[in-house]
Amino acid sequence: MAVVQEQTKRESGRIKDVNQKRVLDSYTRAKRLRKQLEALEQDNFQEDPQANLVIPNKRLPQFDSNEGSNPAKKKKKTRGDHFKQRFRKTFNMLVEEEQLSMQEPPNYLTACIPPSKTPDRKFCAVCGFPSNYTCVSCGARYCCVKCLGTHQDTRCLKWTV
Amino acid sequence: MRDGKVAIIFKRLVPNCIMKAKNERRKQYIGSQIDDCKDLSGIFYLLPFQKGYLVNWDVQRQVWEHTFGKDVMNLEPEDTNAIIAEPYFDFSSIQEAMNEIYFEEYNFKAILRTNAGTLSAFKNRQEEPNQLCCLLVDCGYSFTHIAPYYNGKKVGSAIRRVNIGGKVLTNHLKEIISYRQLHVMDETYVMNQVKEDVCYVSLDFFGDMKIAKLKGQENTIVRDYILPDFSHSKRGYLKQDDTKLKPHEQTVRMNNERFAVPEILFHPSDIGIQEMGVSEAIVHVINNCPTDMRPHLFKNILLTGGNAMFPGFKERVESDVRSMAPALYDVRVTKPVNPITHAWEGGKLLSTSKNFSSLMVTRDEYNEHGHSICWEKFDV
Ligand SMILES: [Zn+2]
Ligand SMILES: [Zn+2]
Repeated sequence: MAVVQEQTKRESGRIKDVNQKRVLDSYTRAKRLRKQLEALEQDNFQEDPQANLVIPNKRLPQFDSNEGSNPAKKKKKTRGDHFKQRFRKTFNMLVEEEQLSMQEPPNYLTACIPPSKTPDRKFCAVCGFPSNYTCVSCGARYCCVKCLGTHQDTRCLKWTV
Repeated sequence: MRDGKVAIIFKRLVPNCIMKAKNERRKQYIGSQIDDCKDLSGIFYLLPFQKGYLVNWDVQRQVWEHTFGKDVMNLEPEDTNAIIAEPYFDFSSIQEAMNEIYFEEYNFKAILRTNAGTLSAFKNRQEEPNQLCCLLVDCGYSFTHIAPYYNGKKVGSAIRRVNIGGKVLTNHLKEIISYRQLHVMDETYVMNQVKEDVCYVSLDFFGDMKIAKLKGQENTIVRDYILPDFSHSKRGYLKQDDTKLKPHEQTVRMNNERFAVPEILFHPSDIGIQEMGVSEAIVHVINNCPTDMRPHLFKNILLTGGNAMFPGFKERVESDVRSMAPALYDVRVTKPVNPITHAWEGGKLLSTSKNFSSLMVTRDEYNEHGHSICWEKFDV
């Protein structure tokens, strides 16, 4: 009796586990892809090694990019810096300005190449070889059981990019 | 020459960035100063450009001042004419900032602002005067432009941009090597060299995939690359088959990565960017030009920019375009001796041409007319 009970318990436990297997919705999948593509545009992965360093009497470059501008650390303006202030724009601001300017095409926005007419090709997210299978949980591609295992152990639902 | 002056034309390539080294806590390397840096691991970059456009003027001015100064060119801007190459469709705000900085801050004698591709197309036209058109491909760091030229003039409405360049390739290589083998996310400088040293454009992509799957001697693609450790070596290199690794040596194994990374130029959708690749885009751009221009464009495709240096790049473009072009048209693809400095060579040639001075705007003209004369004369 006891043995059977044990077995049923284990069995139901496994079924429960399968039922609860999370599946990423299309919104999360799209967000994941967007984050990955943004990472490919980054200049650096690591932190600035001199981020906390103050060099006195030395011109330090200022970041006018979107991330982490620190108004408290603003350097003393020279004449040149002052009159260039109006040119300090991030890339997104420049694109926005172009959108609003009603500038006749061709321009930056109209020059983008359209999508390919050929179908997408599929590659294993682990080893990079052509793949035939799709991970049910996250939509990543894999080519074999071994790569699926690696994928589930490393990225799949664990991966927050 | 009799007066003892010799005209020296020299070109200097200066990295357009400021770099910081992991082990140099206080120093910054501006442009070519990086040559003095002994340990290039974990280099941190400050780049003036974002997505191919100038946005960080503080960094840019430091690089310019370093380049104009005694360390590099040692020039007097007041007596100097400058040709400045800007990306296609440069934003108005950036164009005006260029005028102001070059004339009001640096006081250059005269400037000509144009596109790098226009300079390359000019050189092509000088060398091949019989060619009526040129399809200029500039495959650079931030993106790739495909620009048709007719009689030396760009056909602006037909120019298209593919948002893939060398930066995406290096970052992608970093990402897959870090996931598959060894954490190299901080090693942009080193991994960029790995890319340059061992990557190639495949002429038979799925065939090469099959070879890369083979084991042992049959796999003729796989390579082990010895990373620089910056005490024994400053640059990485390919491991020779028969040599044993020394204890301090660390390798990355480059297998399908060798050709799957540059393949992104031809299939951006391989990494989820829904755009045509370079070859398909070339054909698309030509087919959007007037019918009578098309055969002339197909037979004069000029490849420039750093990615044209990949072994196989030219051959791949040639065979792809050949397979998509109408059969009765000739397809001819040219890769200049140095695709990176080709635009510079074009600018050098232009500066000796008869009507060069009429293309420039002088400081006096700018002082009198301001931006308007620049908008009038420069076609950026
Ligand atoms: Zn796999
Ligand atoms: Zn998954």
